Amino acid sequence: MPTTERTARLKNRCRFKHVAGGEYVDPSVKAGVERARLITQAHKENIGEPNCILRARGLENILKNITIHIQDEELIVGGNTEHPDYFPIYPELSYFSTVDMVESHYCEHKEEMREIAEYWRPYTIQRKAEKYFTPEEIGVLYSATIVQPPMFVTAFSSIVPNYESVIEDGLLKRIEVVEQKIADAETEIRESPWNAPKKLHYLDKIDQWQAMLIAMKAVVGWAQRHARLAKIIAENFLTDPKRKEELLEISEICRHVPAYPARGLKDAMQSKWFTFLLCHSIERYSSGYGHKEDKLLWPYFQKSVIDKTEQPMTREEAVELFECERLKVSEHGSTRGRQLREFFAGSNDLFILTLGGINPDGSDASNDCTNAILEAAESIITTEPSIGFRWNEKGNVETKKKVFNCIKKGFGFPSIKNDEMNTQQLIKYFNVPEEVARDWALVLCMSPGITGRRGTQKTRSEGGSDVYPAKAMEIALTNGFDEFFTNMQLGPETGNAEDFASFGQVWEAVKLQLRYAIELSLRSKDVGRIMESKYLCCPFISSIDDGCVEKGMDGNELAEVANPWHNLIGGSVVVVDSMAAIKKLVFDEKKYTMTELMDALRNNWEDKEEMRLDFWNAPKFGNDNPYVDEIATKYYDLVADEWKRNTTYSGTFPLPLAQSVAGYIVNGPKTAATANGRYAGEALDDGGISPYMGCDKNGPTSVLKSVSKINASKHKGILLNQRLSTVLMNSDAGFDIWHAYMKTWHELDIDHVQFNVISTEDMKAAQIEPEKHTDMLVRIAGYSAKFIDLARYSQDTIMARTEQDIAAG
Amino acid sequence: MPKCEKCTFFFPIPEKDMDFEPGKGDCVEQQQDTKGKFWLSKPVSENSEACQRYRPRN
Repeated sequence: MPTTERTARLKNRCRFKHVAGGEYVDPSVKAGVERARLITQAHKENIGEPNCILRARGLENILKNITIHIQDEELIVGGNTEHPDYFPIYPELSYFSTVDMVESHYCEHKEEMREIAEYWRPYTIQRKAEKYFTPEEIGVLYSATIVQPPMFVTAFSSIVPNYESVIEDGLLKRIEVVEQKIADAETEIRESPWNAPKKLHYLDKIDQWQAMLIAMKAVVGWAQRHARLAKIIAENFLTDPKRKEELLEISEICRHVPAYPARGLKDAMQSKWFTFLLCHSIERYSSGYGHKEDKLLWPYFQKSVIDKTEQPMTREEAVELFECERLKVSEHGSTRGRQLREFFAGSNDLFILTLGGINPDGSDASNDCTNAILEAAESIITTEPSIGFRWNEKGNVETKKKVFNCIKKGFGFPSIKNDEMNTQQLIKYFNVPEEVARDWALVLCMSPGITGRRGTQKTRSEGGSDVYPAKAMEIALTNGFDEFFTNMQLGPETGNAEDFASFGQVWEAVKLQLRYAIELSLRSKDVGRIMESKYLCCPFISSIDDGCVEKGMDGNELAEVANPWHNLIGGSVVVVDSMAAIKKLVFDEKKYTMTELMDALRNNWEDKEEMRLDFWNAPKFGNDNPYVDEIATKYYDLVADEWKRNTTYSGTFPLPLAQSVAGYIVNGPKTAATANGRYAGEALDDGGISPYMGCDKNGPTSVLKSVSKINASKHKGILLNQRLSTVLMNSDAGFDIWHAYMKTWHELDIDHVQFNVISTEDMKAAQIEPEKHTDMLVRIAGYSAKFIDLARYSQDTIMARTEQDIAAG
Repeated sequence: MPKCEKCTFFFPIPEKDMDFEPGKGDCVEQQQDTKGKFWLSKPVSENSEACQRYRPRN
């Protein structure tokens, strides 16, 4: 239950923007056009200016002229569009994505938006980047079959904003710093004697700094617009003295932040929200809610809630404020093309904040702010933002109990990452100083990255491309040709499985198909990165990063701290189980030939049920079976080695990250029958290393033992979904048993785990009477969704997961 | 035709604000739908011709 009558009412009227089956659930959700209109107008008026200035003028025009709004009873104000039911459009990113949205029923200004889409067509990063790929490569990339389409066509990105610099400094101080940088550069340029190699680089820097100034001043003005609106409402439209007082306080807060440093928790929350809107959805679209929230807000929580020296409030009021934050995130509209709307089935967008872990000095970082954030999540019950919890041995039990409370209620979050392992990886692979590494947060669903005043990830071009391994294995058996879905040559010609005389040849073909997919997706990311640096400068995002300010560089271009990772989306365990079945039944026991297997797979096991059951009953990952676990170890090492062969934009090799979002559902129908006994079209494995649905039969400890055989330190993350018994979790011994399970998980050096705690009975009841189960949340993979927003097919995949009894494990 | 300047929903922008321009103001509108009440604000010029929502200031 929401903790106050206000948040109960706000939740009841919340303008949720979740999608189901690729469509927004609420019929009121529409495409806003003002952002697109205003950035286009500014582009036409300023064309010819350096690109960074052009982009800054675009942001300035949006912030000065977009319709702003405040809703009744809100405590945190501000939105990204002209109406609280709308989401924005970004015509400068991808022509395809814009047209997809313009021609949908969400857009009510079709003629104007078609004109805008056509105007931008030659300027989009899609048009700029496409020419560096052959038509065949574009065909493979856009088919969304073996790799995710590139950023320059999906327009998908993610970011970790430098909240600290805004909240600690205030923008007016940063404006002074940038003005001084320009003044110093102007002086140096005029020093005698003239030295071109040492001076000419200042020209670009001055442009970048000027763009930052335009952007920051526009942001302060935009906040002042909110301050004025709050005051106007209070003084002209309301009679309720309590709400009038609240609005006058909100007005004063918006006049203070982000212009000045935050004083207390109310300032910090509002300043953070404004910064979130700008970085994630106004200057450009970027998914995520990447920040270490309990660390960021702890000083302000102390001042307001504990010491009561600034903006004093009770602890209950702080929890209410965190509930309001969750509702604001739930209302936040993101525009994504159909492929991504389907990929994040049941969600609005991917919003994940991070809690827990340790401080730079090594002490427990969980504090009472952590607890209040978790309590708010438990009471308001929204899918978003999801929470990642850094599980450290030093973490206090009180906070871990609050983590448990959310999990046992079936939210699917917090998901849990191994704190020590992920911190060490940032130090070892990316040369991050230990005290900086200890402040990591999840960049999006699963990948840790640094937080703070500089060096955070500004664009998803740093990492996050997707390779679909089950499809790679499928075409490894068919000479790189996709016979099942696209009828295209998706990879190199690596031979037909009928001709493979050894298990080694199967491995080699899989390796070479993965290699092609990995290299194509990496190249598309890095080409996109160059286009972003040239044409999609983000002056505000750059202005709040100390490194960008110091060097006079755009945030897309500057890669101060490398953090490249790339995803294996769903299907890894299908590959492992299929390889085990092939090894056992074709090459070890010689019960079947590769020709017989290919015939069965092409015909979807038709009239081959006995044979299919042989393959289905072959050793399966997740049962502590050395036969298949050895293959799993080889597979996960192989993908790490394949990525390691490459060097990306940031100058180092990327790590793989095995996860699935809803890709395991979406990619199932694109994937033919597989040698693990799976029929064509069925879902893939739900995660990065989750045993295939229903195949883990030896209890939870066996799952952990199988997973622990993989060297997780070579991976940026490996997602493990587990489904636990509701009876056990809700029993008196629930926490103790779960805590013991987590201790085992931690001792086995496993990277990640997340839980579904919901009974099959309850899920079946929700399928029959969805209106009675509006608060039922489930974990998909990397995010949670309302169960009733999922398609029946997706709901069934959750129910098919093995429900583990950890007491018996 | 009446001008925005004379409308009760027109609020001039204070000179100290970053987006101040002579004659520019906020047009504030209250709306209500099934989900509740909210207020919109968009910039207008005092010399613009008033819209259908025009209500003369007392």
